[in-house]
Amino acid sequence: MASSWDEEFGSAGPTEEEAGSDVELLKRAWRNEKASPEILQFQSELIRRVHEQIQLQEERVEEFVNDKMDDLVVSLHQMDLDRTQYLLKSYLRIRLHKIEKYMFHISKTDLLNRLSEQEQIFTQRCIEIMEKHLHQSVLSKLPYGYQSVTKQSISSEEDDMVPAPELDTFVFCKTKSAVGAFQLDEMGDEIVDLVADDLYVLRYKSIKGLVENGQIDLI
Amino acid sequence: MYGRRASQLLKEQSSCEEGQLTPFDQGAFDEVIKECDEHNNKLQSSIRKIEEQSLDIQTTRNEDHFGAVIHHLSLIRNKRCLMAYMYNRAEVIQGYKWKNIGRLLPQEIQKKLNYSEQEYFKNHSAAVDSYINELDLDLTVDMVPPKDPYIRVRVLDEIGDEVSLGDRAVSLTKDSLHFLRRTDAEPYISQGLMEEFLE
Repeated sequence: MASSWDEEFGSAGPTEEEAGSDVELLKRAWRNEKASPEILQFQSELIRRVHEQIQLQEERVEEFVNDKMDDLVVSLHQMDLDRTQYLLKSYLRIRLHKIEKYMFHISKTDLLNRLSEQEQIFTQRCIEIMEKHLHQSVLSKLPYGYQSVTKQSISSEEDDMVPAPELDTFVFCKTKSAVGAFQLDEMGDEIVDLVADDLYVLRYKSIKGLVENGQIDLI
Repeated sequence: MYGRRASQLLKEQSSCEEGQLTPFDQGAFDEVIKECDEHNNKLQSSIRKIEEQSLDIQTTRNEDHFGAVIHHLSLIRNKRCLMAYMYNRAEVIQGYKWKNIGRLLPQEIQKKLNYSEQEYFKNHSAAVDSYINELDLDLTVDMVPPKDPYIRVRVLDEIGDEVSLGDRAVSLTKDSLHFLRRTDAEPYISQGLMEEFLE
């Protein structure tokens, strides 16, 4: 279904031909985001294209209904549309949940650069309302020197009360191309040979860089 | 025993189910705050005693110093417990927005929140709504992967007699059965006003 839709819209950009259609790319981005403990780079170009295609498809379905096209065909197009809509919305929702959970951590590290502009605004607002709420209910009643949201007290050297994502969690992943001998941790104790198209269970921290480069996909 | 009240407060919260809240325990909360004040007073007076004896604050290791350390550590433990209590409840409140409960929380939930938490719910809902409007995509529907574009539903509570869904007007009286588009039915289902009819 997705491929015939693509033929009509000539979707995927020139460089993405081998990767498949935009829906495939969206599915991949969605899976990676779902499985990863931390927030990943926002795929702004992809999302923009998918959004446009969804709108076009919605218009087409309406035309079909007005032209009294066969109900079965219309509902097949509608299904396809619904499935893509679900992927898109779920992708955005997963990211919002991660922002809600780790707002302080994201804003204080360079993870902030992985967010879209609207997500950055959302993060800022979340932080403001959370700080206001915590200050109003707890912090203003505590003695001076213990009123910071992110530090336990003014004698703490750094922000010690910021919840951060657990990067040590194990994730299932699949290599896209051969990576070869890969060092799993800094101590150089374990070296794993990563061949193409193979399934592995590894700590997220070790393969973080590979996920960012697109050499490995999370499942 | 220092910190016991605070850990009781947290145990109360953790004893309830995921995604649910216990009523806000203002009494226990205030007691912990009072404890913190007492710790602070004792801490300050220990420090003053050290200063009065003209000893160096940074390096003195006498009983006043250790007393001050204990009070400081108890204080930050209480702070961590209180923050955890509030933060945890705030996360549950964030979840309410995504369950599509509506602009106002139902009475039974409102009762469990203190004033600041009710404010927090309103502000958080507004922040999410603002993001949704920016994108022009309603993220609170399509929460499950679609299996069928049309589903059978039964109306649980009286919704209305001439509700217009899409281009049709449907009479949604209690216990009536309908064959609706999933996207139309979803908001009612998540609010508990309708249920899906599975064979």
